[in-house]
Amino acid sequence: MKERLSCYERLELAWNLQEADRVPVAPVNCYIIPYLAGISIRDMFYDPDKLIAATIKAREMLGGGDNIDPNITTLNHLSMFGRAGWDQATLDWRIWDDFPPKGNLPSLFEKALIEDYDDVMERGFAPLLYSKNGAQAIFTRSIDEFLYYEFEYPKVYAAAWRRFVEEQEVPLLMGGRACHPLDMLQYYRGIANLTQDIFEQPEKVKAMCDWLVEYETTMAMRDAMIMGAGEVPGAEVIFFVNGGPPGMSPRIFDEFYWPTAKKMIDIFVTRGFKVHCHWDNDLTPHLETIKHMADGLPKGKLLLDLEKTDMKRAKEVLGDRICIFGNVPSAMLVYGTPEEVDAYCRKLIEECAPGGGFILSTECETPWDSRPENVRAIVQAAEKYGWY
Amino acid sequence: MGKLSDALAVLDKPAVLAAVQEGIEAGTDPLQLVEEARLGLEAVGREFDKGNYFLMELLRAAQIFKDAVALLTPKIKERYGSAASRGTVVIGTVAGDVHDLGKNIVRDLLQCNGFEVIDLGVDVPAARFVEAIRQHRPKVVGMSALLSAAVTQVGRTVEAIEEAGLRDQVRLIVGGGIVGEVKRNMLRVDHATTNANEGISVILDWFGREQA
Ligand code: B12
Repeated sequence: MKERLSCYERLELAWNLQEADRVPVAPVNCYIIPYLAGISIRDMFYDPDKLIAATIKAREMLGGGDNIDPNITTLNHLSMFGRAGWDQATLDWRIWDDFPPKGNLPSLFEKALIEDYDDVMERGFAPLLYSKNGAQAIFTRSIDEFLYYEFEYPKVYAAAWRRFVEEQEVPLLMGGRACHPLDMLQYYRGIANLTQDIFEQPEKVKAMCDWLVEYETTMAMRDAMIMGAGEVPGAEVIFFVNGGPPGMSPRIFDEFYWPTAKKMIDIFVTRGFKVHCHWDNDLTPHLETIKHMADGLPKGKLLLDLEKTDMKRAKEVLGDRICIFGNVPSAMLVYGTPEEVDAYCRKLIEECAPGGGFILSTECETPWDSRPENVRAIVQAAEKYGWY
Repeated sequence: MGKLSDALAVLDKPAVLAAVQEGIEAGTDPLQLVEEARLGLEAVGREFDKGNYFLMELLRAAQIFKDAVALLTPKIKERYGSAASRGTVVIGTVAGDVHDLGKNIVRDLLQCNGFEVIDLGVDVPAARFVEAIRQHRPKVVGMSALLSAAVTQVGRTVEAIEEAGLRDQVRLIVGGGIVGEVKRNMLRVDHATTNANEGISVILDWFGREQA
């Protein structure tokens, strides 16, 4: 058996399409952390020390994992302006004290805020988002509070995570997050309107997507810098979510999604970051396009995190080019048994791990109401079946 | 299939609207034009089932269909008084869940098939479903659920409908991604599906049978 590597070394080898000591395992644990550790969403958002303590406790209950999600969405939620779509305007601005059924998680939903693409491209997002129409609730907050959460709190938050990484020797899943422009339009224009626009004013949609490239990439890289990119392991990773509206045909994917996706990936990598593409939905029909993701880029900079996509097929098409990550079904984690999870993981490892370039994980994220023993079963499966 | 349905089948909105306009000018029965458009929509549905069309095309087809019907509605009223409805369906995404893409597609397709649809929106509490059943007397209630937590919520909604003594007046159907991933008996409804077309034909069946 090879010498046991650190979590970060193990992940690095997978990104580099090499076999590590064992298959890295990294369930995306997010809201399950406050839930299991018994802190409220409010504490999770406003008290980084409580969040870190909760994270350590929950990791024990869930069996660990090779990295940790620092939940950058917190900063996005608390931020003043449009941040990767998750902000004051699209968030249900209630930071709950309880989980369902008494309370809820911060929930994202679409709002048809954009009426005129030209206006956004001319004046930017701020006038749209920072308006009574955009986000009523923000007017109940003081400007001092806003400025604090925009400029100071991210540093406090980053410092807490830096301590966590140093003490626990577990790297971060990401340092910053960005959305694909079509995702942003899905939130701010609504999917029905967006569909209509794609068919009726395709050039406008493309121009808007291009405009958003700079907007999104810059903010994500700024967040990652604050989180310590280059110093704090994992903070150099940009989490590039969500893979566009569900149900794109190959034509729409190739024409509207892909060009800006590739542009953004190239910008991140050129400027020294790594990109974790967290792309939901079933992208199996688009793998032949996606396989060009790493074209022109140095090795080891890209990872593709898949949700409903056929993993076996993804390995076949992308295996020698891009590290893949996924995808234990969220419903199985809530309603299934550890035996089912174990069998699913074993199959994933058999199909995707040979030769390296695979990280065992959840589909999208671990639901907060997952059975802890099911999440543990993922980590245990890597220990059982994942040694190279 | 005619010009109108062919144009809809290839999602050519200008051609669809032009064909409708032509039909109106030629004095064709507006209901016949609706039927022709519906055939086009069915063709889109078949292409979707075969994997040649994707969700966005389905969405687009329903949008074009609705635009065509909007042109025809005044003519139908002129000729037949009010537009005849096949019956009423109440639909909504259950409490705690705000996903509505699938629900909206089902709503649109039901409307395209001549149903009157009362759309309660998203995050709909059980009590609101009960109230809507009392108010609108639908034959069918559709629920959409995508979150795992929404499965429990479907159960609560069914219970509330039972407690209100309304369960035997309605058929219950539930859809949404999560439905395909849990055991059917957890849901306690008359039908569960992750396929909009299947849902529509089940509902059509229910209405057909009850009328017979
Ligand atoms: C798009 C999407 C969103 C969009 C929703 C936009 C919108 N307007 O709906 C946004 C970004 C807003 C969103 C938000 C969230 N999402 Co979301 N989302 C998705 C995603 C990627 C696709 C869902 C979708 O629209 N599919 C396409 C539609 C057409 O499919 P469908 O709903 O199944 O509908 C079809 C059939 O089921 C059927 N049908 C549907 N309803 C009905 C009803 C009847 C009566 C009938 C007959 C048929 C029928 O017809 C449709 C056509 O065939 C899924 C993952 C996935 N790939 O499924 C995650 C997913 C559903 N989301 C998830 C989560 C966690 C969330 C959030 C909680 C994240 C957050 N923390 O904010 C929030 C939800 C907040 C809330 N309280 O609800 C999880 C749920 C996990 C779980 N098991 O609980 C999923 C599964 C991702 C994952 N794998 O973890 N999401």
